[in-house]
Amino acid sequence: MQQSILMLFLGLLAISIIVFTYVYQSSQKATDLDRGMANPLKSRFWFLLILFVILGIFASVTIPKSPYYFYADETPSRVVHVAAKQFAFVLSNNAIDPKNPVGENAIELLENELVEFRVTSFDVNHGFAIYNKAGQLIAQTQAMPGYVNKLRWKFSEPGAYSILCLEYCGMAHQIMRSSFTVK
Amino acid sequence: METLKLRKITSVWIIIVLTLFVVAIVLGILMRLNQGEIIQQSPITFYGNMTTHGLTMIGIWFVAGMAAVNYLLERYVKTSYAANLFALALTVIGVLMLWCSTFIGEFHAGWTFLYPLPFKIMWAEWATPLFLSSLGVLGLGWLVWSISLMAQILKKYSISQAFAWQHFSKNPKVETPPFILITMITLIGVIACLIAAVILLILFFIEYFSNGSFVNDALLMKNLTYFFGHTIANEMLYLGLAVIYELFAEVSGRPKWHTTWYVALAWNLSLIFILTAFFHHLYMDFVQPEGLQIIGQIASYLASLPAAGVTVFSILVAVYRNKINWSLTNLLFFIGVAGWVIGGLGAVIDATISNNFILHNTLWVPAHFHTYNAMGNVLFSLAFFHWFSNQYYHHKERQNTLKLSILLIGGAGFLLAFYIGGAESIPRRYSTYPSDLPMGATLASIAALFASLYLIAILIFFFNISKKCLKILSSSPQSS
Amino acid sequence: MISFVSTNVKGQIASSGWKEEDRIYSKVFDAPLSGKQLRKGTTLYQVTSQKPTVLALIFTRCTGVCNPFLLELKENIELRTNEKNFNILVMSFDPRDTEKDLDDLAMRFGLSEDKRWEFAVTDSIRSLVQSIGFKPVWDSLRQQYDHDALLIGINSEGYITKKLIGIRNNADLGLLLASIQDSFTPTYRMANPNMLFPCFNYDVKTGKNTPGLGLIFVALPALIAMVIVLSVNFFVRVNRI
Repeated sequence: MQQSILMLFLGLLAISIIVFTYVYQSSQKATDLDRGMANPLKSRFWFLLILFVILGIFASVTIPKSPYYFYADETPSRVVHVAAKQFAFVLSNNAIDPKNPVGENAIELLENELVEFRVTSFDVNHGFAIYNKAGQLIAQTQAMPGYVNKLRWKFSEPGAYSILCLEYCGMAHQIMRSSFTVK
Repeated sequence: METLKLRKITSVWIIIVLTLFVVAIVLGILMRLNQGEIIQQSPITFYGNMTTHGLTMIGIWFVAGMAAVNYLLERYVKTSYAANLFALALTVIGVLMLWCSTFIGEFHAGWTFLYPLPFKIMWAEWATPLFLSSLGVLGLGWLVWSISLMAQILKKYSISQAFAWQHFSKNPKVETPPFILITMITLIGVIACLIAAVILLILFFIEYFSNGSFVNDALLMKNLTYFFGHTIANEMLYLGLAVIYELFAEVSGRPKWHTTWYVALAWNLSLIFILTAFFHHLYMDFVQPEGLQIIGQIASYLASLPAAGVTVFSILVAVYRNKINWSLTNLLFFIGVAGWVIGGLGAVIDATISNNFILHNTLWVPAHFHTYNAMGNVLFSLAFFHWFSNQYYHHKERQNTLKLSILLIGGAGFLLAFYIGGAESIPRRYSTYPSDLPMGATLASIAALFASLYLIAILIFFFNISKKCLKILSSSPQSS
Repeated sequence: MISFVSTNVKGQIASSGWKEEDRIYSKVFDAPLSGKQLRKGTTLYQVTSQKPTVLALIFTRCTGVCNPFLLELKENIELRTNEKNFNILVMSFDPRDTEKDLDDLAMRFGLSEDKRWEFAVTDSIRSLVQSIGFKPVWDSLRQQYDHDALLIGINSEGYITKKLIGIRNNADLGLLLASIQDSFTPTYRMANPNMLFPCFNYDVKTGKNTPGLGLIFVALPALIAMVIVLSVNFFVRVNRI
């Protein structure tokens, strides 16, 4: 999905550069007799209308795909509790007691089962980001102290997954990570 | 009418901004070199530099916009020299305090100083209160300056005139120049975000002095932080736009731009969008009420309408098939607008919640805001600096194409490395990248190379412009 | 405006922290039930499969939290007169309690005739409370159980979807009812008694939530900026005249 986003961006980038270059060159070639764009108000109106429609389509298509709605009407078969702290993740099948945080070393999930990650933090804001073995970010949520974020996901590919901290949390932010497997 | 004092203080601003810009770029290049594993800094040094780099950049381009607006505002109203000087003094003091906390105190909570990180002290104890105080000092100077400028506008224009509401009826009796309209709208946004920063700092200090008996709500603090941070960066761009509306036509030899009903409508609406777009920084905080998340996406989308449909379209219409006196000034404005548009494309993509889900806190985020800045707002300000310094010491422009080419190639390469990094899921704010994300280091090295090209171009601008500004500083009333 | 805010902040209700997390999405024990309104041989799953169920655990000899807890629950349910898509099952975890004790309790609370309420005892108390993660402690000195006031939400498949510890207000109950209808809320807030200006205030003693100053704070900067603009304008005009 990231690749299609990049392609979209590069495509629009190319169009923008072409438009600006074309407009610039048209002014280089212009003489004193040239009067510029014919009926700019009408063109402006159409431009705005088209842009508004495009944005409207994007908004109505993408908003329902927001992570707040994922698998909202199914019951998860698995809950993984995640507590982030400077600088490690505690993962557990059971609720994690802040006074005695005990995690499990090897969390194993099943392919295609609905998992609910319940993510919180014991100290500062952290990011709970799931990367697949190809190094691609596939899902994330924030870990905020005093709150629990619930992320529901189904893993369709078995294998090893990494968890990276994706919200700057201090001097070991870049080595704060964990992992789990999907069978 | 502009005075010698205003001319000189504007020159001082320009020299300070350019000097700090060079320092901040060097810090940035060091960061990319570290990420590229070409040099090795300790994480504390890296993150301290990151904190300094971020705040210095936002700060200087904000004051650059304010200084330009203050200077041009003098064409319409009498601005207060005292407020300008006050802001200058507090900015210098604030920056020195900031640098002290980061370089000496090793404070490294990032430019967003996201609560409660400043309180998890892994640096000198005194660095946290010093850092927070530096923000207070900066904020105070800027708040006084903004309110002063707004007060001067309101002395001449009534509130409805400052908002150009009379342009919604046919044949308005009083004309509100676009510059006044945009400055007024922007200053309100600036004041709002500085107030947010004041509230934020008060809450920080209450907790700091309560010794742990009071704890802030992390969600509230995050909302306030991003209200301040997003809005100040956005308004920084709009200050640059105000300058464009005022100067572009003049410099190009075209008829002056006037406020029409759609310009008035666009800018009035943009105030609402700007004050609500900041919610897009909290998409991945599922704790945030869902309504606010959706408002964030809608407002971010809608903000592009006045920007693209009015401002960008107006520039293109002004240039298309018209004979333009191209000089470095309006070229920089024109290319800067293109850069702003491109940054906007990256931004709207990321402001879509379902995209943000896989782009948030990857390099895509610095990709779009560095585009807005390095290829957008910086060019707006450089254009103003160049135009300003040329008013008094004009000399033939040489090698514009070369200067611009180095700037653009350097900037483009540096930014593309960020966008590709984002698409490759490389995290942002990592001092070094994990071995299972090898693209990270490769892209960082390439970025450092291109950023150095960009720096070379900036140094050329720095020397040329500062030389002229120093001459302005040493000039006397007779020699002007 | 207020209802917009209140419906959109339904995810924000505080919990008693991590204890409420325990056993979520695990299946409750299918305990055999006996109660006046229940057919002989009814089990818990049969009740929950008819309608999602709110389970309240009490004992009739309680001199502590049980009465105010049930009273608050009753009042909150009374406010939801049109909601009929759930059951409330009040059960005792005290082996001394009989079906008659629960009947008397129902009568005392005036709930004998209310179709939404069921009162029952079970002979498999230990299995039931273990499946819920409920741990009452017997105090032989006072001859009382020391226990949490606990509401458990069970969906129609017998899964525990949410727990509420303490005497909770109607908004919290609403969250529990939503969860047993399998309606997903992506978040909730944990309690911190010393929190300054939170978006919501949670009082640990009474277990109640009210909107906090924090909600207004997000809108405050824009409002203050407008006030400043108007004030500056006013002073400028006054000085001019």
